[in-house]
Amino acid sequence: MLKIARNLYEYRELVAELTRKDITVRYKQAYLGIAWAVMRPLALMLIFTLVKSFVGIDSGTIPYPILTFAALMPWVFFQDATAEGIESVVKNSALVRKIYFPREIFPLTAVTTKLVEFGISAFILAGLMVWYQMMPTAHILWVPVIILYTLLVSLTIALMGAAINVSYRDVGAALPILLSLLMYASPVIYPLQLVRDKLLVQQAAGEWSDLLYTIYTLNPLAGIIDSFQNVVLRGLPPDFSSMLPGMVLTAILLPLSYRYFKWEEAYFADVI
Amino acid sequence: MPIIQLNHVSKDYRLGTLTSLKDSVRNTVRRLRGQPVKKRAPFRALDDMDFSIEQGEVVGIIGNNGAGKSTLLKLLAKVTTPTAGRVAVNGKVAPLIEVGAGLVPDLTGRENVFLNATILGITRADIAARFDEIVAFSELESFIDTPIKRYSSGMKIRLAFAIATSVEAEILIIDEVLAVGDLAFQRKCFERMEDLIKGRGNTVLIVSHNIRQIERMCSRVLLLERGQVVADGLPLEVADLFYRRSNEKISAEHKKSLEGKVHKYSSGEIELVSVDLLDEQGEATDSIPSGGTLRVRVRFQVNKPLQKPEIVVGTHTTDFFYLSASSTALIEDRPDLDVGVHEVEYIVPSFPLVAGTYCVRFAVFDQHQRKVFTGETLKIFTVLPTSLEILDAPMRRLYLPTRWRINGVAHNSPMPVPAQAATT
Repeated sequence: MLKIARNLYEYRELVAELTRKDITVRYKQAYLGIAWAVMRPLALMLIFTLVKSFVGIDSGTIPYPILTFAALMPWVFFQDATAEGIESVVKNSALVRKIYFPREIFPLTAVTTKLVEFGISAFILAGLMVWYQMMPTAHILWVPVIILYTLLVSLTIALMGAAINVSYRDVGAALPILLSLLMYASPVIYPLQLVRDKLLVQQAAGEWSDLLYTIYTLNPLAGIIDSFQNVVLRGLPPDFSSMLPGMVLTAILLPLSYRYFKWEEAYFADVI
Repeated sequence: MPIIQLNHVSKDYRLGTLTSLKDSVRNTVRRLRGQPVKKRAPFRALDDMDFSIEQGEVVGIIGNNGAGKSTLLKLLAKVTTPTAGRVAVNGKVAPLIEVGAGLVPDLTGRENVFLNATILGITRADIAARFDEIVAFSELESFIDTPIKRYSSGMKIRLAFAIATSVEAEILIIDEVLAVGDLAFQRKCFERMEDLIKGRGNTVLIVSHNIRQIERMCSRVLLLERGQVVADGLPLEVADLFYRRSNEKISAEHKKSLEGKVHKYSSGEIELVSVDLLDEQGEATDSIPSGGTLRVRVRFQVNKPLQKPEIVVGTHTTDFFYLSASSTALIEDRPDLDVGVHEVEYIVPSFPLVAGTYCVRFAVFDQHQRKVFTGETLKIFTVLPTSLEILDAPMRRLYLPTRWRINGVAHNSPMPVPAQAATT
């Protein structure tokens, strides 16, 4: 782990420069420029709000639009960062074949780039909070920690995915689809509170209820989204009980994923 | 301590396409069951390479296509890893393996300078300090804020070259980057390279097909063949060996392509028995040294007596350009030929053609100029290069002994040693 950190420090200028490149290139010839970055969460929020008016989802004391926007922010960040991270090595094949630097810089850069879009969405969220007259509490200081955790979750999938994608491009095509399915298994459209009520309080699945809830929260995004809403909108600390299973899973998988990436790295230039 | 050390390094590539996901899954299942796995044949790009390079050496790497030059550079640049053995590089490597890898079309020249230089490992402060120099060298002052997708290809290469050569590193790896841009810029690049190579005591590895350039710049040359170092030594010697080997390869290919292309006509009065090339000792051979004696012996069977026939022996190139021919018509007392086997020898004391592949032709006419026999490509032979071939002017067909007078002073160019004497 120490070596990774040292590598990253040594190549920090490269990461910064590549990130700058990614962002500039993405919005270079677009009139609205970086404004496009927030179009997707905004559009999704409007659609979900529309759907909610037919279906009826209990959003508690928080207005549904802002609740779902606060869920979409970490979700979209996670989804885009992961997808981008998986494609990152293949996308840079010209560099991979010619010049050496630690290859994890590619997924890392791809993932960090998405922080910019996240930051812009944060302004929209702030605007919504002003509109709904909600005051943030000191718990909002948890946001960087939660985002860092999201970033690690994203890297866990991206490192492994990027390495496999070098040999089998299927991964680059399949994972975004799987990820968009994962959205329905994450508390984006509905708040986690609904799941918690159903399983933990009403024990809807009988004796299996507690186990099911643990399985549900194995998805790190369940905890992340709920905690993000907690610290920003509800003025509460993160709910660690819902984050724990996901955290354990990430703590196990991230080193494995990283090791797999480093092991495959030696052959990238040969097969890419 | 050597700055670069290779210990029995081999590198395999697998041939053919990647295995499909289906095959991979099937192979995994077989491996788990302990059954044999279907494998693709590996291609050995580098085969047990073992050498070291000291600080400050300028090493040229030459070899035919596919000899393993680029793979070797990739290993040294850490882009790929060896299948077996160990590569130790004790210093920062600046790979100019291909200038322009990593230029982003959408970014401006300025942005690309910073990005590309960072990729090559130059710190931001250094780039800023050298920015003006880079721009001036690439002659792109007025275009530096234009996205480089609007550059011409020459402009792109100039920019890339300027960035790449501003890297400060102990080890410089150069792969055929000199042939860029127009003539004026090529010269500028060349000077820059020489400055990098000679001026700073860097360790440099150069791969090039331009043997003269290698010979001029390097202090040591490695000759690669099928992934192995077949020669390692002084530039002139190794370059000469390489030159001779390529020549052999070319003539072998020529011979192959000419086999079965024998053009023959015979009236039936004469049948060819054999056409041989003889060396000084009268032994049959396939090659003569440059400027050496050409001795051709033709044996043929005469079926009907011929009175004072005219015999012509000559040479032509592999593309049937007639080079020489001599006729016995000039000889008053040439003999009549009775039925039986006869032998004719044609001797040119000094065959004045440069190294290459040539062929023998042979013809017989009767005293009334009637064609009795003609034949081309009857024997294919090689003229070997001399040991100093590499230093001589490249564009020539004839090999002529020369004398020089420079400012009135006679300079004898050393008579090149015929290659046969120099062959190891």
